[in-house]
Amino acid sequence: MSTAVVAITLAVVIVPLAYLASVSLMGRDEVTSGVLVPATPAWSNWSDVVTGTELLRGVGNSLFAAAVGAALTLAFALPAAWAIVRYRTGGATLGGTLMSPWLLPPIVAVVPLFTLLRILELNNTLIGLTLVYALVNLPVAIWLLEGFLRRLPSELDEAARMDGAGPVRLLLSIIAPVVSPALVSIGIIVAILNYNEFLLATFLTQSDDAQTLPVVLSMFYGERTPHYGKIAAASLVGIVPVFAAAVLFQRRLVGGLAAGSVK
Amino acid sequence: MAETSLPLPAAAVRSRIRRRSRRGDARAHRLFVSPAVLALLVLGLYPLLFIVAAAFSESSLGKPFQEWVGTANLEAALLDADIVASLVRGTAYAVGVSVVSLVLGVVVALALRHSVASGSIVRTVLLLPLIMPPVIVGTLWKLVYNPGGGLLATVTGFAGGDPASVSPLSSSAWSLPAIAVADVWEWTPLVALLVFTALLAQDEEPIEAARLDGAHGFGLFRHITLPAIAGVVAAAFFIRLVLAFKVFDLIFMMTSGGPGQSTTTASYIVYQLALREFDVGMAAAVTLLLAVVVTVVTLPVAFLTRRLQANHES
Repeated sequence: MSTAVVAITLAVVIVPLAYLASVSLMGRDEVTSGVLVPATPAWSNWSDVVTGTELLRGVGNSLFAAAVGAALTLAFALPAAWAIVRYRTGGATLGGTLMSPWLLPPIVAVVPLFTLLRILELNNTLIGLTLVYALVNLPVAIWLLEGFLRRLPSELDEAARMDGAGPVRLLLSIIAPVVSPALVSIGIIVAILNYNEFLLATFLTQSDDAQTLPVVLSMFYGERTPHYGKIAAASLVGIVPVFAAAVLFQRRLVGGLAAGSVK
Repeated sequence: MAETSLPLPAAAVRSRIRRRSRRGDARAHRLFVSPAVLALLVLGLYPLLFIVAAAFSESSLGKPFQEWVGTANLEAALLDADIVASLVRGTAYAVGVSVVSLVLGVVVALALRHSVASGSIVRTVLLLPLIMPPVIVGTLWKLVYNPGGGLLATVTGFAGGDPASVSPLSSSAWSLPAIAVADVWEWTPLVALLVFTALLAQDEEPIEAARLDGAHGFGLFRHITLPAIAGVVAAAFFIRLVLAFKVFDLIFMMTSGGPGQSTTTASYIVYQLALREFDVGMAAAVTLLLAVVVTVVTLPVAFLTRRLQANHES
């Protein structure tokens, strides 16, 4: 019974993805002719989107924003989470309001952020978007990290303090190494959130050379008669990095996700 | 403070060093949380003030805050049938997909625990919908629903139905449920993985004891398993509800709010007003209404979550 439920679940996940792969090899006519598998795989869809479109640049931009944004988020999150957990810095106000920006749809912040970036002259730049990402996921990262830090014995801190280590050295040489597995998990989660983000990206990077992958993909529909085979191929190319992350870091991802909700 | 030349007792020296370092430490800790405070200012307080100011003024995208109009924007928003309908629609959608995701997620998590297959491959497959860009999830399901040749139409044809009749995204009755299916497909794995992890961390002893007392099946789940994981289930529901209120990418990619207004949620109306019609004042008024609705719907769930987690710890 349970095994059957798991099997059905796997099928529900895999079948649409397999269909996407199948469509990516269909010619323009086959997509609307009601076949599930193309007669002759049209590999040209793949080579066309890779060589003839902005797709790879989009993937590159997304990877940059994802990685640099996540690194900045982690660098900001560790000291903050540690001060909040150990010393209640900021008190109830900071702790209570930290997650509030996350509760509202991001559309709320788009216009104000657009205005702010225009003033800072960072509009339409990948750097501007990356900095926004670094801050957007900071509350989430702190929230997830708190779960890990609470489980650390405070003797760790005290022993280091006895040896005369200041807060910065304590963090860098004692705490960071101990929570590094958590940092990796949270870093991957945050990087994936950045890689996938669409709304902010579409308004904050309107120039071609700053566009991220989701924005590039949304443009594929702009043509009068969209070529679904190519759209599917482009989607699959875009999925490669996140699926690689899933395969390589499955355990860490699940652990990182679970840490936040089990407090 | 004048330094004395008399040798101080060692304890006094230590306490003085400690006091001085504590003050320095407090400064360091404030510095540590400053990026988080900056994030709150840039993403919380500043947008909030901006939105409130815009909601009470005549504002366009290029020229915000032209003149003070009082509550005119809010009144116009509340009297606009489309806007009120979009708030109701978005709320019904969020609650609906969240409940469905929660039930399916818990069922999948329980099945995973008792199934012969729950290894890393299964977990990796479960992660896939979760970590794909939502823009691609929208694309994927748009292809599945594609009239005339999509997966759904083709399978309907095999089953003896009429493939031409299958076009959920162009029917005002079926378009929102069709998006909901994609949403549930994307986020149910999150609930399943969170609950599954909680199940793995569960104590075996009470389960064994209850088994010896003759509890089994649903009774065992209701009285032993469910109380143990209630906190995590509630937290998963809260997270899921917030995510459901935020849905935008799927609607943008699959239907652009149509056909008619049938898939237009408040987020999408804000987008249309602000970035299509450049009426930031009106968009801000809708945003405020949406903030109120989200708060009213999610707060009870947040309180319930807190209480269940506190119960579990005591």
